Amino acid sequence: MTIEEQIRDIVAKITRVDKSIITRESTFKEIKADSLDVVQALVAVEETFGIEIPDEEAQQFKNFGDFVSYVENHVTQTEKV
Amino acid sequence: MSLEGKLALVTGGGRGIGRAIALKLASQGADIIIDFFRRRDTAEQTAKDIEALGVKAEVVRANVGDPAKIDEMFDMIGNKFGRLDILISNAASGVGRPIMDIDVKAWEWTMDINARACLLCAQRAAKLMEGRGGKIVSISSLGSRFALPNYTIVGVSKAALEALTRYLAIELAPQGICVNAVAASAVETEALKFYFKEGLVKDNRQATPAGRMVIPEDVADVVAFLCSEEAFMIRGQTIIVDGGTSVGLFALAGKENNEHG
Ligand SMILES: NC(=O)c1ccc[n+]([C@@H]2O[C@H](COP(=O)([O-])OP(=O)(O)OC[C@H]3O[C@@H](n4cnc5c(N)ncnc54)[C@H](OP(=O)(O)O)[C@@H]3O)[C@@H](O)[C@H]2O)c1
Repeated sequence: MTIEEQIRDIVAKITRVDKSIITRESTFKEIKADSLDVVQALVAVEETFGIEIPDEEAQQFKNFGDFVSYVENHVTQTEKV
Repeated sequence: MSLEGKLALVTGGGRGIGRAIALKLASQGADIIIDFFRRRDTAEQTAKDIEALGVKAEVVRANVGDPAKIDEMFDMIGNKFGRLDILISNAASGVGRPIMDIDVKAWEWTMDINARACLLCAQRAAKLMEGRGGKIVSISSLGSRFALPNYTIVGVSKAALEALTRYLAIELAPQGICVNAVAASAVETEALKFYFKEGLVKDNRQATPAGRMVIPEDVADVVAFLCSEEAFMIRGQTIIVDGGTSVGLFALAGKENNEHG
Protein backbone atom coordinates (compact mmCIF):
# COMPACT_ATOMS: atom_id res chain seq x y z
CA MET A 1 0.00 0.00 0.00
CA THR A 2 1.30 3.44 -0.87
CA ILE A 3 1.58 6.19 1.74
CA GLU A 4 -1.39 7.92 0.11
CA GLU A 5 -3.56 4.81 0.35
CA GLN A 6 -2.65 4.27 3.97
CA ILE A 7 -3.51 7.86 4.88
CA ARG A 8 -6.76 7.66 2.92
CA ASP A 9 -7.75 4.56 4.92
CA ILE A 10 -6.97 6.29 8.20
CA VAL A 11 -8.90 9.45 7.31
CA ALA A 12 -11.89 7.50 5.94
CA LYS A 13 -12.07 5.42 9.11
CA ILE A 14 -11.99 8.47 11.37
CA THR A 15 -14.45 10.59 9.41
CA ARG A 16 -16.59 7.57 8.47
CA VAL A 17 -16.82 8.61 4.82
CA ASP A 18 -16.41 6.30 1.85
CA LYS A 19 -12.75 6.44 0.89
CA SER A 20 -13.60 6.72 -2.80
CA ILE A 21 -14.71 10.33 -2.26
CA ILE A 22 -11.31 11.34 -0.81
CA THR A 23 -9.11 12.74 -3.57
CA ARG A 24 -5.93 14.77 -3.35
CA GLU A 25 -8.01 17.87 -4.03
CA SER A 26 -10.56 17.20 -1.25
CA THR A 27 -10.59 19.77 1.53
CA PHE A 28 -11.13 18.61 5.12
CA LYS A 29 -14.51 20.30 4.97
CA GLU A 30 -15.51 18.27 1.92
CA ILE A 31 -14.49 15.08 3.74
CA LYS A 32 -16.68 16.31 6.62
CA ALA A 33 -13.71 16.30 8.99
CA ASP A 34 -14.21 18.57 12.00
CA SER A 35 -11.32 19.80 14.13
CA LEU A 36 -11.41 16.67 16.31
CA ASP A 37 -11.30 14.40 13.24
CA VAL A 38 -8.30 16.33 11.94
CA VAL A 39 -6.35 15.99 15.20
CA GLN A 40 -7.19 12.30 15.44
CA ALA A 41 -6.11 11.76 11.84
CA LEU A 42 -2.83 13.60 12.50
CA VAL A 43 -2.16 11.49 15.60
CA ALA A 44 -2.98 8.23 13.80
CA VAL A 45 -0.77 9.12 10.83
CA GLU A 46 2.08 10.19 13.12
CA GLU A 47 1.93 6.83 14.87
CA THR A 48 1.66 4.81 11.67
CA PHE A 49 4.70 6.46 10.09
CA GLY A 50 6.69 7.28 13.22
CA ILE A 51 6.90 10.99 12.41
CA GLU A 52 5.89 14.22 14.12
CA ILE A 53 3.71 16.72 12.23
CA PRO A 54 3.97 20.08 13.99
CA ASP A 55 0.71 22.02 14.33
CA GLU A 56 2.28 24.96 12.55
CA GLU A 57 2.73 22.74 9.45
CA ALA A 58 -0.63 20.99 9.73
CA GLN A 59 -2.42 24.32 9.75
CA GLN A 60 -1.03 25.00 6.28
CA PHE A 61 -2.65 21.91 4.75
CA LYS A 62 -5.30 23.14 2.32
CA ASN A 63 -6.44 19.69 1.22
CA PHE A 64 -5.84 15.97 1.55
CA GLY A 65 -3.06 16.17 -1.04
CA ASP A 66 -1.06 18.63 1.10
CA PHE A 67 -1.37 16.24 4.04
CA VAL A 68 -0.15 13.29 1.94
CA SER A 69 2.72 15.28 0.37
CA TYR A 70 3.94 16.37 3.80
CA VAL A 71 4.04 12.78 5.01
CA GLU A 72 5.65 11.52 1.79
CA ASN A 73 8.40 14.12 2.02
CA HIS A 74 8.94 13.54 5.69
CA VAL A 75 9.02 9.77 5.57
CA THR A 76 11.50 9.78 2.68
CA GLN A 77 13.61 12.35 4.46
CA THR A 78 13.84 10.24 7.61
CA GLU A 79 14.63 7.15 5.59
CA LYS A 80 17.45 8.96 3.79
CA VAL A 81 19.07 10.02 7.06
CA MET B 1 7.88 30.57 49.42
CA SER B 2 10.68 28.64 47.79
CA LEU B 3 10.61 25.61 45.56
CA GLU B 4 14.36 25.35 45.23
CA GLY B 5 15.53 21.85 44.33
CA LYS B 6 12.00 20.67 43.50
CA LEU B 7 11.10 19.01 40.23
CA ALA B 8 7.73 19.83 38.65
CA LEU B 9 5.89 18.34 35.68
CA VAL B 10 3.39 20.66 33.98
CA THR B 11 1.18 18.93 31.39
CA GLY B 12 0.33 21.30 28.56
CA GLY B 13 2.99 23.62 29.96
CA GLY B 14 4.08 25.11 26.64
CA ARG B 15 1.49 27.82 26.34
CA GLY B 16 -1.43 29.60 27.96
CA ILE B 17 -2.10 28.96 31.63
CA GLY B 18 0.33 26.01 31.74
CA ARG B 19 3.15 28.24 30.55
CA ALA B 20 2.36 30.84 33.23
CA ILE B 21 2.36 28.09 35.88
CA ALA B 22 5.66 26.67 34.61
CA LEU B 23 7.29 30.11 34.68
CA LYS B 24 5.92 30.88 38.15
CA LEU B 25 7.20 27.60 39.65
CA ALA B 26 10.54 28.16 37.90
CA SER B 27 10.77 31.68 39.32
CA GLN B 28 10.55 30.08 42.75
CA GLY B 29 13.44 27.78 41.98
CA ALA B 30 11.80 24.58 40.70
CA ASP B 31 13.19 22.65 37.74
CA ILE B 32 10.44 22.11 35.19
CA ILE B 33 9.40 19.35 32.82
CA ILE B 34 7.04 20.64 30.15
CA ASP B 35 4.77 18.18 28.41
CA PHE B 36 3.23 19.23 25.10
CA PHE B 37 1.06 17.60 22.47
CA ARG B 38 1.09 19.44 19.14
CA ARG B 39 3.18 22.59 19.52
CA ARG B 40 6.81 21.69 19.97
CA ASP B 41 8.14 25.14 19.01
CA THR B 42 6.02 26.87 21.63
CA ALA B 43 7.03 24.36 24.31
CA GLU B 44 10.71 24.75 23.44
CA GLN B 45 10.41 28.53 23.63
CA THR B 46 8.85 28.23 27.08
CA ALA B 47 11.70 25.91 28.11
CA LYS B 48 14.20 28.57 27.01
CA ASP B 49 12.36 31.23 28.99
CA ILE B 50 12.46 28.93 32.02
CA GLU B 51 16.19 28.29 31.68
CA ALA B 52 16.72 32.05 31.54
CA LEU B 53 15.43 32.09 35.13
CA GLY B 54 18.40 29.93 36.16
CA VAL B 55 16.68 26.56 36.57
CA LYS B 56 16.58 23.45 34.41
CA ALA B 57 13.88 22.79 31.83
CA GLU B 58 13.04 19.62 29.94
CA VAL B 59 10.53 19.20 27.12
CA VAL B 60 8.62 15.96 26.59
CA ARG B 61 5.96 15.14 24.04
CA ALA B 62 3.06 13.08 25.37
CA ASN B 63 -0.59 12.98 24.40
CA VAL B 64 -2.06 12.53 27.86
CA GLY B 65 -5.20 11.12 26.28
CA ASP B 66 -3.16 8.00 25.49
CA PRO B 67 -2.26 5.86 28.55
CA ALA B 68 0.77 4.38 26.76
CA LYS B 69 2.16 7.89 26.18
CA ILE B 70 1.63 8.78 29.84
CA ASP B 71 3.60 5.66 30.76
CA GLU B 72 6.42 6.56 28.38
CA MET B 73 6.59 10.07 29.83
CA PHE B 74 6.80 8.84 33.41
CA ASP B 75 9.28 6.11 32.46
CA MET B 76 11.48 8.88 31.06
CA ILE B 77 11.10 10.97 34.23
CA GLY B 78 11.81 7.92 36.40
CA ASN B 79 14.92 6.96 34.44
CA LYS B 80 16.30 10.44 34.09
CA PHE B 81 15.43 12.01 37.45
CA GLY B 82 14.20 9.15 39.66
CA ARG B 83 11.77 11.46 41.44
CA LEU B 84 9.02 14.07 41.08
CA ASP B 85 7.89 16.66 43.62
CA ILE B 86 5.06 18.48 41.86
CA LEU B 87 2.50 17.39 39.25
CA ILE B 88 0.36 20.03 37.57
CA SER B 89 -2.41 18.46 35.48
CA ASN B 90 -3.18 21.39 33.22
CA ALA B 91 -3.51 19.91 29.72
CA ALA B 92 -7.04 19.95 28.40
CA SER B 93 -8.90 19.62 25.17
CA GLY B 94 -12.51 19.49 24.21
CA VAL B 95 -15.17 19.92 21.66
CA GLY B 96 -17.68 22.72 22.05
CA ARG B 97 -21.03 21.33 20.98
CA PRO B 98 -24.69 21.53 21.88
CA ILE B 99 -25.86 18.46 23.79
CA MET B 100 -27.73 16.92 20.87
CA ASP B 101 -24.53 16.93 18.77
CA ILE B 102 -22.35 15.17 21.34
CA ASP B 103 -21.20 11.75 20.20
CA VAL B 104 -19.16 8.98 21.81
CA LYS B 105 -15.99 10.06 20.04
CA ALA B 106 -16.12 13.65 21.32
CA TRP B 107 -17.06 12.44 24.82
CA GLU B 108 -14.22 9.93 25.05
CA TRP B 109 -11.63 12.29 23.59
CA THR B 110 -12.46 14.98 26.14
CA MET B 111 -12.83 12.65 29.11
CA ASP B 112 -9.61 10.81 28.32
CA ILE B 113 -7.54 14.00 28.18
CA ASN B 114 -9.25 16.10 30.84
CA ALA B 115 -10.22 13.53 33.46
CA ARG B 116 -8.68 10.08 32.98
CA ALA B 117 -5.23 11.58 32.41
CA CYS B 118 -5.40 13.24 35.84
CA LEU B 119 -5.89 9.85 37.45
CA LEU B 120 -3.20 8.08 35.43
CA CYS B 121 -0.66 10.89 35.91
CA ALA B 122 -1.42 11.05 39.64
CA GLN B 123 -0.86 7.28 39.98
CA ARG B 124 2.50 7.44 38.24
CA ALA B 125 3.50 10.66 39.99
CA ALA B 126 2.64 9.26 43.43
CA LYS B 127 5.15 6.45 42.87
CA LEU B 128 7.88 8.98 42.07
CA MET B 129 6.91 10.95 45.19
CA GLU B 130 7.25 7.90 47.46
CA GLY B 131 9.16 8.62 50.62
CA ARG B 132 9.42 12.34 49.88
CA GLY B 133 5.82 13.61 49.65
CA GLY B 134 4.62 15.94 46.96
CA LYS B 135 1.97 18.25 45.54
CA ILE B 136 -0.60 17.60 42.88
CA VAL B 137 -2.65 20.47 41.47
CA SER B 138 -5.15 20.09 38.62
CA ILE B 139 -6.67 22.91 36.61
CA SER B 140 -10.44 23.08 36.38
CA SER B 141 -12.98 25.62 35.21
CA LEU B 142 -16.26 27.14 36.38
CA GLY B 143 -18.00 24.91 33.84
CA SER B 144 -17.70 22.07 36.37
CA ARG B 145 -20.50 23.58 38.44
CA PHE B 146 -22.23 26.09 36.16
CA ALA B 147 -23.83 25.35 32.81
CA LEU B 148 -22.18 27.28 29.99
CA PRO B 149 -23.35 27.14 26.37
CA ASN B 150 -21.76 24.33 24.31
CA TYR B 151 -19.50 23.46 27.24
CA THR B 152 -21.21 20.24 28.40
CA ILE B 153 -18.46 17.70 27.75
CA VAL B 154 -15.67 19.87 29.10
CA GLY B 155 -17.79 20.90 32.09
CA VAL B 156 -18.53 17.28 32.94
CA SER B 157 -14.88 16.31 32.55
CA LYS B 158 -13.92 19.09 34.95
CA ALA B 159 -16.54 17.93 37.46
CA ALA B 160 -14.89 14.49 37.31
CA LEU B 161 -11.49 16.11 37.81
CA GLU B 162 -12.70 17.96 40.90
CA ALA B 163 -14.25 14.82 42.40
CA LEU B 164 -11.05 12.91 41.65
CA THR B 165 -9.12 15.66 43.42
CA ARG B 166 -11.06 14.95 46.63
CA TYR B 167 -10.49 11.19 46.43
CA LEU B 168 -6.80 11.57 45.64
CA ALA B 169 -6.41 14.03 48.52
CA ILE B 170 -7.67 11.43 50.98
CA GLU B 171 -5.96 8.35 49.59
CA LEU B 172 -2.59 9.96 48.95
CA ALA B 173 -2.50 11.91 52.22
CA PRO B 174 -0.69 9.12 54.13
CA GLN B 175 2.16 9.45 51.62
CA GLY B 176 2.49 13.15 52.36
CA ILE B 177 0.99 14.19 49.04
CA CYS B 178 -1.25 17.29 49.00
CA VAL B 179 -3.85 17.28 46.22
CA ASN B 180 -5.96 20.27 45.17
CA ALA B 181 -7.48 21.93 42.12
CA VAL B 182 -7.77 25.49 40.86
CA ALA B 183 -10.85 26.46 38.85
CA ALA B 184 -10.82 29.59 36.74
CA SER B 185 -13.48 31.55 34.92
CA ALA B 186 -12.66 32.69 31.36
CA VAL B 187 -8.94 33.46 31.28
CA GLU B 188 -7.36 35.81 28.78
CA THR B 189 -5.38 33.39 26.59
CA GLU B 190 -4.78 32.93 22.89
CA ALA B 191 -7.70 30.49 22.75
CA LEU B 192 -10.05 32.95 24.37
CA LYS B 193 -9.14 35.73 21.93
CA PHE B 194 -10.18 33.36 19.16
CA TYR B 195 -13.49 32.65 20.92
CA PHE B 196 -14.13 36.38 21.32
CA LYS B 197 -13.57 36.89 17.63
CA GLU B 198 -15.90 34.04 16.75
CA GLY B 199 -18.49 35.42 19.17
CA LEU B 200 -18.48 32.20 21.22
CA VAL B 201 -17.54 33.95 24.47
CA LYS B 202 -18.47 37.44 25.56
CA ASP B 203 -16.07 39.84 27.16
CA ASN B 204 -16.99 39.25 30.81
CA ARG B 205 -15.27 42.19 32.49
CA GLN B 206 -18.70 43.68 33.15
CA ALA B 207 -19.66 40.57 35.13
CA THR B 208 -16.43 40.45 37.15
CA PRO B 209 -16.53 42.29 40.48
CA ALA B 210 -12.73 42.54 40.44
CA GLY B 211 -13.11 44.75 37.38
CA ARG B 212 -10.86 42.94 34.95
CA MET B 213 -10.52 39.55 33.34
CA VAL B 214 -8.55 36.73 34.91
CA ILE B 215 -5.08 36.40 33.38
CA PRO B 216 -2.93 33.23 33.36
CA GLU B 217 -0.66 34.67 36.07
CA ASP B 218 -3.64 34.92 38.47
CA VAL B 219 -4.10 31.17 38.17
CA ALA B 220 -0.35 30.50 38.39
CA ASP B 221 -0.06 32.46 41.65
CA VAL B 222 -2.69 30.30 43.34
CA VAL B 223 -1.15 27.10 41.97
CA ALA B 224 2.24 28.15 43.34
CA PHE B 225 0.70 28.80 46.74
CA LEU B 226 -0.88 25.32 46.74
CA CYS B 227 2.59 23.92 45.97
CA SER B 228 4.07 25.67 48.99
CA GLU B 229 4.39 24.37 52.55
CA GLU B 230 2.10 27.21 53.69
CA ALA B 231 -0.79 25.38 51.98
CA PHE B 232 -0.08 22.10 53.83
CA MET B 233 -3.50 21.98 55.50
CA ILE B 234 -5.49 22.63 52.30
CA ARG B 235 -6.54 19.23 50.94
CA GLY B 236 -8.93 18.12 48.23
CA GLN B 237 -10.19 21.63 47.57
CA THR B 238 -11.03 23.41 44.36
CA ILE B 239 -10.01 27.03 44.73
CA ILE B 240 -11.94 29.37 42.45
CA VAL B 241 -10.08 32.17 40.70
CA ASP B 242 -12.72 34.29 38.99
CA GLY B 243 -12.52 37.80 40.38
CA GLY B 244 -15.76 37.16 42.26
CA THR B 245 -17.93 36.39 39.23
CA SER B 246 -19.47 33.23 40.65
CA VAL B 247 -20.47 34.60 44.05
CA GLY B 248 -22.61 37.43 42.70
CA LEU B 249 -25.08 37.99 39.93
CA PHE B 250 -23.21 40.99 38.59
CA ALA B 251 -24.16 40.22 35.04
CA LEU B 252 -27.81 40.74 35.96
CA ALA B 253 -27.26 43.99 37.84
CA GLY B 254 -27.07 47.48 36.34
CA LYS B 255 -23.78 48.60 34.88
CA GLU B 256 -23.31 51.31 37.51
CA ASN B 257 -23.03 48.58 40.17
CA ASN B 258 -19.75 47.46 38.73
CA GLU B 259 -17.93 50.73 38.33
CA HIS B 260 -14.61 51.06 40.02
CA GLY B 261 -13.42 54.64 40.27
N1 LIG C 1 -8.56 29.70 29.01
C1 LIG C 1 -9.59 29.69 29.82
O1 LIG C 1 -10.46 30.54 29.72
C2 LIG C 1 -9.70 28.66 30.90
C3 LIG C 1 -10.66 28.85 31.90
C4 LIG C 1 -10.76 27.92 32.92
C5 LIG C 1 -9.95 26.82 32.95
N2 LIG C 1 -9.04 26.62 31.96
C6 LIG C 1 -8.21 25.42 32.05
O2 LIG C 1 -6.84 25.76 32.14
C7 LIG C 1 -6.05 24.78 31.52
C8 LIG C 1 -5.17 25.41 30.47
O3 LIG C 1 -6.00 26.12 29.58
P1 LIG C 1 -5.44 27.11 28.45
O4 LIG C 1 -6.55 28.04 28.10
O5 LIG C 1 -4.13 27.64 28.84
O6 LIG C 1 -5.30 26.03 27.30
P2 LIG C 1 -4.92 26.20 25.77
O7 LIG C 1 -4.38 27.54 25.51
O8 LIG C 1 -6.09 25.71 25.03
O9 LIG C 1 -3.76 25.12 25.72
C9 LIG C 1 -4.02 23.78 25.99
C10 LIG C 1 -2.75 23.16 26.51
O10 LIG C 1 -2.99 21.79 26.75
C11 LIG C 1 -2.12 21.02 25.95
N3 LIG C 1 -2.82 19.82 25.50
C12 LIG C 1 -4.02 19.73 24.86
N4 LIG C 1 -4.32 18.46 24.63
C13 LIG C 1 -3.30 17.72 25.12
C14 LIG C 1 -3.01 16.32 25.17
N5 LIG C 1 -3.86 15.43 24.65
N6 LIG C 1 -1.86 15.92 25.75
C15 LIG C 1 -0.99 16.82 26.27
N7 LIG C 1 -1.20 18.14 26.24
C16 LIG C 1 -2.34 18.58 25.67
C17 LIG C 1 -1.73 21.90 24.79
O11 LIG C 1 -0.49 21.46 24.24
P3 LIG C 1 0.05 21.99 22.78
O12 LIG C 1 0.49 23.39 23.02
O13 LIG C 1 1.19 21.11 22.43
O14 LIG C 1 -1.08 21.89 21.84
C18 LIG C 1 -1.63 23.24 25.49
O15 LIG C 1 -0.42 23.39 26.17
C19 LIG C 1 -7.01 23.74 30.97
O16 LIG C 1 -7.16 22.69 31.88
C20 LIG C 1 -8.29 24.52 30.83
O17 LIG C 1 -9.44 23.70 30.85
C21 LIG C 1 -8.90 27.52 30.95
